[in-house]
Amino acid sequence: MHKVKDIIDGCLSGSRRDQELLYRRYAPKLYAVCLQYSGNTEEARDVLQEGFIKIFENLGRYSHEGSFEGWMRRIIVNTALEKYRSRYYLTRVDDIDGVAEPVADPDTDDFAGLEAVDLLNMIMELPPKYRMVFNLYAIEGYSHKEIGTMMNISEGTSKSNLSRARDILQKKVMILTGVTRRMINV
Amino acid sequence: MFEREPNIDVVFRNGLKNLEVLPPTDVWDNIPPMPVRGTRSRVFTGIAAGIAALLTLTLVASWFTRSDSATRSLSEVTLAENGQPPETGQLISSSPVVREVVRAESEGTIPTEIPDYEITITGNGETLMPSLSSTTEINRMGAGNATDDSAAADNITVIAQGLAVNYNAPEELLSSGKSVDGDQRFMVGASMSPSVGFSSSGNDAHISELMSGEKIRPAYTTGLAFGYRISKRITIQSGIGLSSMGQVINGIDVFAGLSDFYAVKSDYLYSVETTSGVIMTGNPDLYLADSKNRVESMIPGNIADPSKYPLTQVGSNIHQVFRYLELPLLIRYKVIDRSIDLNFSGGMSYGLLVDNFAYTKSGSDMIPIGHTAGVNMHSLSSQIGLGMEYNVSGRFTFNVEPVFRYYVTPFNDLSGTLYRPYSFGLFSGFFYKF
Repeated sequence: MHKVKDIIDGCLSGSRRDQELLYRRYAPKLYAVCLQYSGNTEEARDVLQEGFIKIFENLGRYSHEGSFEGWMRRIIVNTALEKYRSRYYLTRVDDIDGVAEPVADPDTDDFAGLEAVDLLNMIMELPPKYRMVFNLYAIEGYSHKEIGTMMNISEGTSKSNLSRARDILQKKVMILTGVTRRMINV
Repeated sequence: MFEREPNIDVVFRNGLKNLEVLPPTDVWDNIPPMPVRGTRSRVFTGIAAGIAALLTLTLVASWFTRSDSATRSLSEVTLAENGQPPETGQLISSSPVVREVVRAESEGTIPTEIPDYEITITGNGETLMPSLSSTTEINRMGAGNATDDSAAADNITVIAQGLAVNYNAPEELLSSGKSVDGDQRFMVGASMSPSVGFSSSGNDAHISELMSGEKIRPAYTTGLAFGYRISKRITIQSGIGLSSMGQVINGIDVFAGLSDFYAVKSDYLYSVETTSGVIMTGNPDLYLADSKNRVESMIPGNIADPSKYPLTQVGSNIHQVFRYLELPLLIRYKVIDRSIDLNFSGGMSYGLLVDNFAYTKSGSDMIPIGHTAGVNMHSLSSQIGLGMEYNVSGRFTFNVEPVFRYYVTPFNDLSGTLYRPYSFGLFSGFFYKF
């Protein structure tokens, strides 16, 4: 197994073979991230391709201090954000939404039977703005203030979108797992 | 107060943490090769060096030409002023030290041949000798006096400091000299140039290791050359040629028969790392293996293991071949104009990649393997040479010229090193002047 540092050095010296090694090693994981943010395979493919081009172009700036995978993931997420901005910025019509009534938060044990692919499909089915906010907040760990800046929306809108995204996801999860029925019965 | 994170967030975060999805196969194909750091600056530096070399050569050539014409015109001025040679010690002009060796060949008219000047000294009366100042030294080797028509001087050394050297020479000879090869300003010919290249691995241990398993193939350039003489000494030369170069990668075992056992799902099943780039095998029937970890298989190990198939070995090395269409632009400067001329040349050459293939040899058969990925379609090289030109007849010449060439552009953007950036060649060719 090649060491990551060796592969990075090889990429920096222009070795196409190392570039391919790097791609083959990380592309599956990063493609899952792309799907998470993009909602369809066509857009995810574009994000992955553009993201990897940026990764290779900026590889020399990686300082070897933090997680390399995390560094690449941030580039992919930023690429997805750029794509989102260019595609959905002008069609945004309902930024200022009221905060939805929260649905009861089920126990994590109730989701034990869910496959990762099911979760991914649920996120992909979210409306774009909800999907972006949920990913950035729940998965990546950004604050609403940061998300507001990144997506050019207000903090309140970010909270609202997150709330709606959670609401939709919870409903989907419950339907899929039958938790609703059990919770009602309880 | 600490706000508890909703479970739904945790579920999604943990659930998606290790999710992997295979991307479409064409994504990688659409990701262009990453440029090598510093390549651009290296290219510009090389181009600048080439241009500087050309400029220097041109300046040196023009300096020689200017000093030649300056002395000549000075003589003409002196003659024009009084029609006679100047008085001894007459100061005409302040000029650099001039040292010339004049060989007198016969009585009467003494044609002389001086490397940089075309001057004839006539022996009619007192004008045989140049007018010289007190600082002029005349060293006559041989019998007789130069002023005596019956005497022939073998050598006359003239050193004039601060003075113009004046000869009583017919103006038409001074202005035209021996260069009168008539109007033969054009030349055309055929050339052939075998060459050998040299690599530089720098301090890269990996490149050095790769180089240890590689051997240079004989390289050559053939083509047609055209020239135009813009002055007695300077000729511009161009042409069109085909150059071939490459290397042999040793220690790669090539087996045939893979297609009987493994259905191809990819364009390239194997890649072979070399100093000139990565060979991508496009022949689905071949299985490649080596002991130096240069061969990479694109066949997933859990799907097939070709090493267990009964395959037939057809080769133990790979030949890489690259062919370029070359368009050179050179300047030649004639240093010595004799029956065998000596000239310097310098210039640039543009190359367009027209062939890029790899094969293995099985007996006398060539089995195609694939091509080398990422080889630059365009190349630019600068070259200098020191040539000898033998005048076979009035119009035919034969040239032999050792040439040093430096490739300004990298051979392959994917390779971390400049592949064979230097080469020495022996240019030779026949030319017809008209």
